[in-house]
Amino acid sequence: MNVFVTPAMLGQVVISGILSGALYAMVALGLALIFGVMRIINVAHGPLLMLGAYATFFLYSALGINPYLTVPVSMLVLFAVGLLLERTLVFRVVDAPELSSLLLTFGISIALVNLAQLLFTSDLRSVEYLAGSWVVGPLALSKARVVAFTVASALTGLSFFFLQRTRLGKAIRATSQNREVAMVCGIDVQRIHLVTFGLSAGLAGAGGALIAVIVAIQPEMGQIWTFKSFLVIVLGGAGNYPGALLGGVLLGLIEQLASLFLTTQLSEVVAYVLLVLILLVRPQGLLGGRQT
Amino acid sequence: MSPRPAALAALAAVTLALAVYPEFGSGYGVRSTLQVFMWIVLASSWNLISGLTGYVSFGHVAFFGAGAYTGAILIAKAGWPWGLAALAGGLGACVLALAIGYPCLRLKGPYFAIAMLGLNEVLRALVSYFEDLTGGGNGLSLPTLDATVPIYYVMGASALLVTLVTYVIITSRFGLRLMTIREDEVAAEAMGIDTARHKLYAFLLSAAGPGVAGALTARDQGYIEPISVFPLATTITMIVMVLFGGKGTVWGPVLGAVVLFVAQEIVWARYPYVHPLLFGVIIIAVVLLMPRGVLGLLQIRYRLPRTI
Repeated sequence: MNVFVTPAMLGQVVISGILSGALYAMVALGLALIFGVMRIINVAHGPLLMLGAYATFFLYSALGINPYLTVPVSMLVLFAVGLLLERTLVFRVVDAPELSSLLLTFGISIALVNLAQLLFTSDLRSVEYLAGSWVVGPLALSKARVVAFTVASALTGLSFFFLQRTRLGKAIRATSQNREVAMVCGIDVQRIHLVTFGLSAGLAGAGGALIAVIVAIQPEMGQIWTFKSFLVIVLGGAGNYPGALLGGVLLGLIEQLASLFLTTQLSEVVAYVLLVLILLVRPQGLLGGRQT
Repeated sequence: MSPRPAALAALAAVTLALAVYPEFGSGYGVRSTLQVFMWIVLASSWNLISGLTGYVSFGHVAFFGAGAYTGAILIAKAGWPWGLAALAGGLGACVLALAIGYPCLRLKGPYFAIAMLGLNEVLRALVSYFEDLTGGGNGLSLPTLDATVPIYYVMGASALLVTLVTYVIITSRFGLRLMTIREDEVAAEAMGIDTARHKLYAFLLSAAGPGVAGALTARDQGYIEPISVFPLATTITMIVMVLFGGKGTVWGPVLGAVVLFVAQEIVWARYPYVHPLLFGVIIIAVVLLMPRGVLGLLQIRYRLPRTI
């Protein structure tokens, strides 16, 4: 228990919270997109992020590519993986009861984690790049986290621009609002599902690439991200894409504040209690659900 | 429809054989059968909530772990006899289920599934944090006691009880209401079923078995630590067993537990890294190709009653 909290410490915590919040928001936006469009919670979202982290690790360690330049490559690789998964497996359970889609993506998640364990072993890997911090007044900003924040914010902004302004983005939002009407308007809903799944996996891949520089990489690193991304969605309101931004930053802040006032060990417990409380008091999320 | 006399006689024969088995069997045989009993308890319990109502629990091992810690703490710190501690383990798991189920099961959709996905990590963190009570990462040792044979009987009775409860539920109006929720929750509500309350009852029932099994396993092994009682692999295994055997049936989880446990012991133990991967593949294959499992196929082919 930490009793003495100086303003500088509080400032540090708020900044760190916002820095990781942008990353949470980007990864959660991927999960929210699939949920909005296909009404599926992709339990394999975190393991896809893990694959993105490995992609960056191997590009960096084998070819010596700057890890930040691997972000688009990770995204592309995961976009392809996403298309493949949707076309072979996931499309079969779009209209099935929820039980089927949850169990199917759970099965995919287990298969991906254990495949990674077989192929890459469970050794901890790390991308040693951009260590250290920038010191600004009393605050120390981890360089890797600042860059991750910047890239994640840019990619999230780009995603929103795509959703708001382009024809394909509008078609995605239309499908998310009402699939039948979208179909009547001539939107190829099957294709929208495919593209959305790819995009979502791509965002997970970008998240993995950025996280690779910050934390150790191992096959089981992903699962907790499925949970955290879902928490972000619940905080912001399911089906509410801008809500994911608010939810991401909130989760980042709450985790950091919990580690300041309690202990780092309990920050996940605090996040969990928060999920249960939100579901109890305001299940539609802070911004309310389903406005796209 | 009441069970046929032949089936009842077979069940009685198997129960009797298993009851006298410790007199003749080897230590390894008794221990393995005890494990099969445990998996039957876990798989059938998961079936009660997820197979019957369609609400997927991705963290059922949390109840096993909660029961294990409740039981172990009562035995080691308060000196309770293990039989009573096992009951307390079941009760502890039910209290936890109430705390999670009440907020999450009022809602439709994936909230419950994901809340259960995170529960395991949270309990593991909590157990590590409250070191004074739980021993933290160092684990908790119980006083030495060789009670494998009595535990064999209690675990066997639990497996029988959970199976019996499943049978009673599936053939009752309560069970029909649960299955209505699974098939169409809105229609169930329109027919006047209090869905939230029914889901919660099923969930509480499904938590008790793993709680008892956890406490019994803790006593049997004499030592527990967070990694040994909260492994994600246990949840995966019980889900695979139920899906393989046939979810929503009485004997599917039993069939899945026996077949997959034997397969695991004989074949997969030699390829330790392939078998979790195989579990993932089995889940995908069963969901897509035979959603009602092996028993579902048999029911259709041999026109067996739906209540087996």
